[in-house]
Amino acid sequence: MARYAMVLDSDKCLNCKACQVACTAENHVPVGKHRNVLHQTTRGVFPELSMKTDPGQCHHCDNAPCVRVCPTGASFINKDGGGFVMIDKEKCIGCRYCMLACPYDARYYDEEVGVVDKCTFCFHRLAEGLEPACVETCPTKVRVFGDIDNPDTEAAKLMRKHSTEQKKLEAGTGPNLYYIID
Amino acid sequence: MTKSKKKWSRRAFLGASTAGIATVGGLSLASGKSKFVQNLGLPTEFAESKYTLSVCANCVNKCGLKVKTQNGRVVKINPNPHFPKSRSMLCAKGQAGVQVLYDKDRVKSPLIRTGPRGSGEFRKATWEEALNYTAENMQKIKDKYGAGGMLFASTEGIQEEFFREFSAAFGSPNHVRHPSLCLASGNTGFFSVFGKVPGFDVANTKYMIFSGANRLESFITPDTIDLIDVIKNKKAKLIVLDPRYTVTASKADVWLPIKPGTDLAFYLALIHVLIYEELYDKEFVAKYTQGLEEVKEGVAKYTPEWAEGETEIPANQIREIARELAFYAPRAFVYKGRRTSWNTNDTEMRQAMAMANALIGNWDQKGGIYPKQSIRKGEMELDVWPPFPDQDCIVPMEEKHPLANAADGAYLDFREKVMRDDPYPVRGYFVYKQNPMHSLPDRKKTIEMLNKMEFVAVCDIYPTDTAMYADVILPEDTYLERNDPVIGFKDPYPFLAVRQAAVPRLHDTQTGLEIFQGLAKRLGFPEFLDFTIEDLVKAQLKPFDLHREDLLVTGIWTNQRETVFGKTLKEGHRFPTPSGKIEIASERFRRRGLDVVPKYRPPEMIPKDKLRVIVGKNALFTHASNQNNPWLHELMPTNRIWISTKAAERRMIKSGDWVKVTSPVGEIKIQAEVTEKIRTDCVYVPHGFDHMSKMMSRVYGQGGCDSDILVTREDKITGNAALHETLVSVQKLEV
Repeated sequence: MARYAMVLDSDKCLNCKACQVACTAENHVPVGKHRNVLHQTTRGVFPELSMKTDPGQCHHCDNAPCVRVCPTGASFINKDGGGFVMIDKEKCIGCRYCMLACPYDARYYDEEVGVVDKCTFCFHRLAEGLEPACVETCPTKVRVFGDIDNPDTEAAKLMRKHSTEQKKLEAGTGPNLYYIID
Repeated sequence: MTKSKKKWSRRAFLGASTAGIATVGGLSLASGKSKFVQNLGLPTEFAESKYTLSVCANCVNKCGLKVKTQNGRVVKINPNPHFPKSRSMLCAKGQAGVQVLYDKDRVKSPLIRTGPRGSGEFRKATWEEALNYTAENMQKIKDKYGAGGMLFASTEGIQEEFFREFSAAFGSPNHVRHPSLCLASGNTGFFSVFGKVPGFDVANTKYMIFSGANRLESFITPDTIDLIDVIKNKKAKLIVLDPRYTVTASKADVWLPIKPGTDLAFYLALIHVLIYEELYDKEFVAKYTQGLEEVKEGVAKYTPEWAEGETEIPANQIREIARELAFYAPRAFVYKGRRTSWNTNDTEMRQAMAMANALIGNWDQKGGIYPKQSIRKGEMELDVWPPFPDQDCIVPMEEKHPLANAADGAYLDFREKVMRDDPYPVRGYFVYKQNPMHSLPDRKKTIEMLNKMEFVAVCDIYPTDTAMYADVILPEDTYLERNDPVIGFKDPYPFLAVRQAAVPRLHDTQTGLEIFQGLAKRLGFPEFLDFTIEDLVKAQLKPFDLHREDLLVTGIWTNQRETVFGKTLKEGHRFPTPSGKIEIASERFRRRGLDVVPKYRPPEMIPKDKLRVIVGKNALFTHASNQNNPWLHELMPTNRIWISTKAAERRMIKSGDWVKVTSPVGEIKIQAEVTEKIRTDCVYVPHGFDHMSKMMSRVYGQGGCDSDILVTREDKITGNAALHETLVSVQKLEV
């Protein structure tokens, strides 16, 4: 069975924010909210410095706490659609429990519509044969999306070539974002 | 009139590449449309789709686009993966293009000023009225002061050549462009050595030295994409010299926080080591260059030990870099950089960079530097001759700046001369696609110049700070609403592409061509612009038997899929320099009475209480043009001045504190960003903030404007603005 995941190489990230604007445009994300985030940190004392940018977003967990806490079933894992964590906006009552439950802080509340929203791996684009908007536009290709059970995908190749880590595994979430660490 | 008419007269040839045209030899093209498509071997799916293939315009790179429309509305802009220059990337600015189109702040119809200059009080006008008004006022200026009484100013763009044709037909010798605020010094420096401005083969190199060029924040495609590939995959080593710890510095193998204004000392010492340690490519230097002995003598005193005192880079490190550069040659280079408007010795600094490249023999070599190649488009020949101007240009270029580019002009000289009515009054100002209120240093002077004008016209898509001082604003279509002529690209190999309207125009705007045609008709010289964009496209594509649609199959057309190296190294090739060789010691400089080997003059000493201002940008903005875009503005709503922890401590400044920055020409109030990422002797102001135009609703009054504090200094050889020559005091503001 296909196992869709994203493999990220943070070391390539320039903090240029092309992914954020692409996501805003693709998914009509309200100004001031973001589905993908970038945290840049600088360490050290001049001139012995190091800088790192950490790209993040929804980890589309196998055992998603947001789904567990949702009182209406609005947050669900779409087993027929790649196993992505999705939100049924008709069912969402905007209680925001899921936002508290998410250890990755990957969700936001859309005040205008009164529902919670987040990354969908650009599900609608995949149907068209396109990559997620953030993946497609990235100048340095930090993010690679694909079926990691299929050895021929770029994502699977990266997983074989590099050591990767998942974030906050201790939370038992079974995340599907893999960060290259070597 | 004693001057020869021949010198000035020229026929109007439109559509040719603007510079550095080189014919690609051995054109062997498939004739006919269908064959072309078959032979390309690329998917043709886009031809029938709801996507419009086009070319971006949010900076000068012109990356490839697939513009997605639904029900006549642009909903998303994707990168066009077949575009060789940008491949499958589109930066934040490109992605935010949707908001260029739908921004409520756009100028939606012609506007005529009703309040005082700068007040932002305008009334809507019809095109008929606005064009009549503009033409009448231009004619008035011409009658009163001569055609030279109008100063035309423009910035790079695909329809800029129509504006230049318009100003030439009007008869004014006064037309100034942007290079003297940007890349003039770098181009002249490299041109002096090679007779060409080269490309840099980042994708195949093994060793690079970058001075300031912040390619991982200030994007140039494809260099940015290639750069991250070669350094991340350990194919090449990157050395970065920058007083600031930029993203590029953070990804470099070695970051050298050089003392600002001393880069020339570093390169002279580099040359010293290359020559005195006999590391240079002896065979190459003997065969292709001239001037080695003179350079050897000229750099004798510029030892690494001497340079250490100037640059604060250890002598042994300079030696080591010179040895590594020579070791990896010819797959190594010193990178030119784009904006080279830093210091008054910028041209000499770039000349020294070019000399170092020549010495290691990397010219026209894979992984080194190379003459850019292009496809020669067809031209449209109009049987018209612009009039010979009655007046001289107010800035005779060679007088003050021996190697300034006369076609581009030196902007700061123009401002100075206009202010002094020297040698005659200039009282009309027509600005196309440019915002001198931000791009020129010393904003007070720019305002004075604008106020001195009897008539100011601005053609733009936004109500910029400069437009606030205009008598009339003539709004142009955005790039998503118009068809443009064919664009010839040179990177990474020559190809053609064309900008295609994704949607019909939204508002009461026109293309640049239509605006200038409307004015030319009213001013009595319609024949100069008597054609359509499509006429021009036809002429441009005629040599290849192609049509616009052929370029829209994949978004590009080419007959060459790689850079060919070594053509200029063949027997009998003459370099376009006075000697026909690569000039390590520049004859062009000698003829103009300039130092053949650069002589080092140290930058102004910084008094203890002062700090040097350096300016720059990040990946979100192009100059001062898109800080107001809602999707970019939210990511960086204001700017802060970077100040080092040590310098801040001495002034009791903490991050977020408001500070007053005072220079000899002005002051700004801005919040401080206390950081380890900058030397203690300088501060950094991100460019393009604090817009005065209330009609730029988001960025109005946000942050501080570098133009308010930068002093007017010029690179003496080219007249390029020297933007890093301002010393300021920084004081905490009590609130």
